[in-house]
Amino acid sequence: MSTSANNTASAGSKISVGGLRKSFGSNEVLKGLDVEITEGEVVCVIGPSGSGKSTFLRCLNKLDELSAGTIIVDGFDLGDKTVDLNEVRQHIGMVFQHFNLFPHMTVLQNIMLAPVELKKESKADARATAVKLLNRVGLADKADARPAQLSGGQKQRVAIARSLAVNPDIMLFDEATSALDPEMVGEVLQVIRDLAAEGMTMVVVTHEMGFAREVADRVIFMADGVIVEEGTPAELFGNPQQERTRDFLSKVL
Amino acid sequence: MFRTGKLTVAVTALLALTGGVLGVSAAAASQPSTAVTGETYVIGTDTTFAPFEYREDGELTGIDMDLIRGIAANQGFTVEIKSLGFDAALQALQSNQVDGVIAGMSITDERKLVFDFSDPYFDSGVQMAVAEGNTEITKYADLAGETVVAKRGSEGETFANSIKNEYNFTVKALADSATMYDDVKAGNSVAVFDDYPVLAYGINQNNGLKSVTEKEQGSSYGFAVNKGQNPELLAAFNIGLAELKSGGEYQEILDTYLDAPAASKDTSFFGLLSDSLPALMKGLGLTLLATALSIVIALVLGVLFGFFKVSESRVLRGLASVYVSIFRGTPLLVQAFFFYFGLPQLTGQSIDVLTAGVLTLSLNAGAYMTEIVRGGIQSVDPGQTEAGRSLGLGYVMTMRRVVLPQAVKIMTPSFINQFVMTLKDTSLLAVIGFAELTYQGQQIYASNFRTGETLLIVAALYFIVINLLTMLSNQLDKRFNK
Repeated sequence: MSTSANNTASAGSKISVGGLRKSFGSNEVLKGLDVEITEGEVVCVIGPSGSGKSTFLRCLNKLDELSAGTIIVDGFDLGDKTVDLNEVRQHIGMVFQHFNLFPHMTVLQNIMLAPVELKKESKADARATAVKLLNRVGLADKADARPAQLSGGQKQRVAIARSLAVNPDIMLFDEATSALDPEMVGEVLQVIRDLAAEGMTMVVVTHEMGFAREVADRVIFMADGVIVEEGTPAELFGNPQQERTRDFLSKVL
Repeated sequence: MFRTGKLTVAVTALLALTGGVLGVSAAAASQPSTAVTGETYVIGTDTTFAPFEYREDGELTGIDMDLIRGIAANQGFTVEIKSLGFDAALQALQSNQVDGVIAGMSITDERKLVFDFSDPYFDSGVQMAVAEGNTEITKYADLAGETVVAKRGSEGETFANSIKNEYNFTVKALADSATMYDDVKAGNSVAVFDDYPVLAYGINQNNGLKSVTEKEQGSSYGFAVNKGQNPELLAAFNIGLAELKSGGEYQEILDTYLDAPAASKDTSFFGLLSDSLPALMKGLGLTLLATALSIVIALVLGVLFGFFKVSESRVLRGLASVYVSIFRGTPLLVQAFFFYFGLPQLTGQSIDVLTAGVLTLSLNAGAYMTEIVRGGIQSVDPGQTEAGRSLGLGYVMTMRRVVLPQAVKIMTPSFINQFVMTLKDTSLLAVIGFAELTYQGQQIYASNFRTGETLLIVAALYFIVINLLTMLSNQLDKRFNK
């Protein structure tokens, strides 16, 4: 782990974002974000489509390059070219809307790939860990199945198990339930809920307002590339201060 | 003989001019023949120019072959014959890779600039022939309003063009004798103008034609050495030729090929099949060898440049794009000519036909493979890469474990397709004299004139081999890419 950046973040801060800007060509998607997230905090990011929520999330593990600003994650300064991104990413799990399971591998192989390739665990240990993780997401019997044989909800639970296999400190969820049939949303949310209860630091981009209200320590409302309003679920959902927020909530609630 | 080799001739003429300026002397003619006794000379010749040189049961035979061997025996030297093809033989002579060339070559002023010629050993000339059953055309005047055929760049074409206005007919040019004869038999042309010995030989071999006019006086064939080189060999050839002529052997040789009635051969289809199969199988072997070598090299090139194409480096992407656009943007045939004829003239380094052929095919197929690899990699959902990278796997590892296994599966059918294309493309190498399957077929009908049947057999062999290999590839694809 890097030590150099620890002093730049306040005590207990897991993610520190300052002045984050991101443009795709001439289109500025993020227009200066400042966010502090402390250890164990669950932050839900809500907002209309095109507000920049997903881009914000993808900047946190540098799947998208930032155009300006600073991001310090788990003590690593992502703007520092000498930082080993592969190392940083092992501290940050990410779950995608479309699961992105590896179709040519079994469920078990999907989960074991990173720990084994990164030489974090022996094959036998990785297998034991993978089985444990599958138990945890309730899919122990699917170990040898191929992704194509699973339902959407099962796929997403496997994807969560896969990102947990490298033992991350932070989990990022990018609309993890948006591609699911309604009856499968619950099983995935339950896994995320369990993780929250265990004290995992999480940033969750979601359209599930009920879930955000229930699980989040803090809710961030984004629109047009800026943070319009943030607060506890009670504050944000119960007493939104901004017209933009009220307008959005009136449409989705 | 005046066949193609325009490139060779052009460069030859250029070299000749410089040679002339430098004052390279003409050979001293009358050296004592003892100078050659016991020596071994390498003689280049054409592959097939019946009846001067062609293969019978795998052995080189013909007027030129009997003549050079007879003269060698007479003068006490030995010859090692290299069947190179006409253009290649001339090139080899210029670069002193062979000591002499005998290939039914007309003595022309242009060629005299670069080579020293022996005394003429054969007086050729153009003659007209028509289909066996044709009774209407017996003289040039009967050609009015009709189309005749002649070999492109040959004396026959020159002659036909010189009289076409007088007799009011049209001249069409084709590449080789067998095709011309078929054209006449099929009725597309009413008559053919060809070198008289070639025509006489064909008629002897029952090619379905008959000659109806006397031959026109034409050029003479000569044996050639490189300008200023091997004067003793040239002298020995002249003396030997004179002695064979006075001893009667010379006439015997000519009679053997030009006057003797056709050997009674098995003319059934199965006779042709069993006669031609050994040569065709040899050709098929070379076809498969060239295909295998080319496809392996093309695969390596394709993977390399395919990765360049998807890399983040603009230089590498540019490099790959240039490579692909050059080899996709020019015809394979031009590439083959370039590597076989052009490159040696630019580098001064001769190149054997297999190397040139494999170079052509692999670079060409490599360009298509590059696009297949690029397409395969890019058709894998980018989410796959993101998932791999977000787990902390590096670029190479993500490629190797996540993207490529899926890309290969997508690419395999295209690979099989390219493999088949390359196998078929080997047939184009016949034009540079690579002795693969098509070439062997051409050799066979060049001497037996059974074009249709021979090509049918050649096509059937391609068909069988390609379909067997496709079936095998699909099986492997199914097994490994479930």
